[in-house]
Amino acid sequence: MRNAYLTYAAKRLVQAVVVILLAYVFTFVVVSILPGDPITNVLRNPQNGFTETEIEEIIAAQGLDKPVLVQLSTSLSNFLTGDLGLSMRTNRPVTTLIAEVLPSTLVLASAGLAVALVLALVIAYGTRFLPKRFGQGLLRDFPSLFLSVPNFVIGLVLIHAFGFQLGLFRVIQPDSFWATFFAAIALGIPISAQIAEVLIANLDHESEQEYAAVARSRGIGQMRLFAKHLLKPSSLPVVTVIALTIGELLGGSLITETVFGRNGIGSLVQRSVTTQDLPVLQAVVSLAAVVFVLVNLIADLVYPLLDPRVKLLGAPERRPAAADESSVNVSKVVTS
Amino acid sequence: MSLVSSYSVSRGTTAGWLTAIRMPPIVAISFAVVVLVIAWSVAPGLFTSYDPVNGVPAQKLLGPSAAHWFGTDHLGRDLYARVVYGTASSVSSALIAVVIGVVAGGVIGLLAGFLGGWVDTVLARLVDVLLAIPKFLLAVIVVTAIGFATTNAAIATGVSAVAVFARVMRSEVIKTRQATFVEAAFLLGGSRWHILWRHVLPNASRSVLPLAVLQFGDSILVIASLAFLGYGDPPPASDWGLLISIGKDYLKWPWLVYAPAFVTIATVLSVNRISRWLRKTD
Repeated sequence: MRNAYLTYAAKRLVQAVVVILLAYVFTFVVVSILPGDPITNVLRNPQNGFTETEIEEIIAAQGLDKPVLVQLSTSLSNFLTGDLGLSMRTNRPVTTLIAEVLPSTLVLASAGLAVALVLALVIAYGTRFLPKRFGQGLLRDFPSLFLSVPNFVIGLVLIHAFGFQLGLFRVIQPDSFWATFFAAIALGIPISAQIAEVLIANLDHESEQEYAAVARSRGIGQMRLFAKHLLKPSSLPVVTVIALTIGELLGGSLITETVFGRNGIGSLVQRSVTTQDLPVLQAVVSLAAVVFVLVNLIADLVYPLLDPRVKLLGAPERRPAAADESSVNVSKVVTS
Repeated sequence: MSLVSSYSVSRGTTAGWLTAIRMPPIVAISFAVVVLVIAWSVAPGLFTSYDPVNGVPAQKLLGPSAAHWFGTDHLGRDLYARVVYGTASSVSSALIAVVIGVVAGGVIGLLAGFLGGWVDTVLARLVDVLLAIPKFLLAVIVVTAIGFATTNAAIATGVSAVAVFARVMRSEVIKTRQATFVEAAFLLGGSRWHILWRHVLPNASRSVLPLAVLQFGDSILVIASLAFLGYGDPPPASDWGLLISIGKDYLKWPWLVYAPAFVTIATVLSVNRISRWLRKTD
């Protein structure tokens, strides 16, 4: 058993590294097929006011005069050593630019995830145990409603209702507690829908099990049944779903930060897109891929330890297929 | 006798027809919304007499009324007309995205699942890479690479959807390949491509259809988000996302946000409901 786990872990680790490297190359290819020439677009743009010698220096520093393949291999080996290059627009290290805005995004993303988890738990509990007259059926439609609302609309509605009408926060102070709180809600709502749907499906399944019937026949209260018996087995698959939503937290924060005027990774991307600052884009996208792959790696490695029913004993070749199968099932549950 | 006649009568009415295909009323409403939206995009001129581009400055920022259903914007243009005229681009771009996702993802999944071996391994890694980059970020860098326009935003959204379709298609193909009737077709001497085309593809595509419908709704949202960030066609285009983006600068006149947002939400909600119904009746 232990051996099987180690083999599985090693295989998963190798796979993760391969995917990260390929993601870097993929991003590089996408970014460097830009139809416009970044040198003329950005550097020679009179608005940026670079002199001719400065332009020469930047071209040399970025290695833009070399063939694409050479650029790729230099940038890839720099990436492996943790050097993300220089921003084309500000000529500062990309690592510094990212480090400056990272805390703000981390706060927003973790608050958003917390909101999503709480909302998902409330919705799941409500659809299972709330009496019909308290809108149980209505609650069950919440996830599909949440998935149909663009998250910038949620943000704008919150700003309009709580910022403008109630005056709870000022839009010009995006880092104040209430502004962050509402930004987290806007970010968390669509994500809560995905978690809630998986949670509801699992709760439905678990509450039909015999142990749930036994617990009910012992006269246990609903709250207790939910918290003590049903929640744990139902929330195990949620671990995988949370790992999968990391990407959406990052993508969503791009929009939420724009709506709420926060200065984070999202607004850094937004600025880099409009100024075509390719090194920054390349760095952010590949780091996002690294985060996503690592979080999912951890989830996949932890999962068999949390749930002893998950079998790894199958032949090593069968494992990837089984993993694919299960994630497809997860995605089906997510979209149902 | 009376039974027979009442049966034929009920079959003639809409309600009878709905029960015949077991369509719940909410799904019928969803279809009605989608039909209306399609009608808007095909013939916007039939639904409004206002001009979506040239406004009447004297009538700027009016609230919703009988004359202006969704009110007017900061240039005195009728917002309802802008929404109706923006439908075509919003809907057709979502369609482009779905087609790209289904075709590219479908081919990848089909080849990976049917051929197996090294083809499967290579394609699986490609799909892993596409999945590893957050979908919205992927759409953003693709649209940056090919230029800001609504069509390009649609292409970018399609690219970001390829991985999902590839995965589902692959697992469906593998499932179908192991079915007894496929084995029988092989034994009867059917060629690989004949079996792929005649047996595997139709069966596998059954579960792709609801996913494609779902992706249509999702694409509307993603393209609206890209338009909101300003990566779509610039004004005076009136894509739904762009309308909301313009409206956010006039939050004192909230209908400029709420009206296009309402149309977007209603459309996506209807599409999602139809997708769920398709999956259940399957």
